[in-house]
Amino acid sequence: MDAAELRVRRATYQRFVELGRAPSWGEVAEAVGVSEEEVRAAWRRLHDTHALVLDEAGEIRMLNPFAARPTDFRVDAGGRSWYANCAWDAFGVGAALHVDSEFDTHCADCGEALHVRVRGGQPDDDSFVFHVLVPAARWWNDIGFT
Amino acid sequence: MLLFRSEAHVDRWLAGRERGAVIPITKLAELAARWWSDRISPDWQPHTREQNQAILDEVGLTDPFWNLG
Repeated sequence: MDAAELRVRRATYQRFVELGRAPSWGEVAEAVGVSEEEVRAAWRRLHDTHALVLDEAGEIRMLNPFAARPTDFRVDAGGRSWYANCAWDAFGVGAALHVDSEFDTHCADCGEALHVRVRGGQPDDDSFVFHVLVPAARWWNDIGFT
Repeated sequence: MLLFRSEAHVDRWLAGRERGAVIPITKLAELAARWWSDRISPDWQPHTREQNQAILDEVGLTDPFWNLG
């Protein structure tokens, strides 16, 4: 990752946190002082190195731990609501923002609503479990499925 | 990467498929804190595979399942 890509990546995260949603090419271009085309190209390279995940249109799909689209992991942190890509990322939103958090999801088996409060980095209910189906070496073969 | 009420719910959901890895959410919280804490820092630098593997090791996820390859 070169210096230009790092600047675009940093600005993309900053704008995501400021806006509470995925920024557009133009919003990042303005923040960095480069063209939209340069942002699009940098995002593509960052996607290829797994620093973010684009959708088919080349827009942000995942800026881990944040999700650009609604998911079953809705997180409240820092006085805002966010979506996370998975249970790992749901804990990650508070960790990345360095604030306490809470999130809502459902048991993937029975569908029961699960609510987790995280205070000082630890969940208030330790009875739930996290399951990863795909071995770590294959996570990025299909990160959406993972 | 899903959450379940208990291990029994994981097994029911798998319906005979091979299990992946199951960890308590206390460990997941510990892992997430280490994995994501620098993500929006202005000083962030890309993690190497070795750095990420070290984080998994530090929280005790040393089974081959967690080998990043």
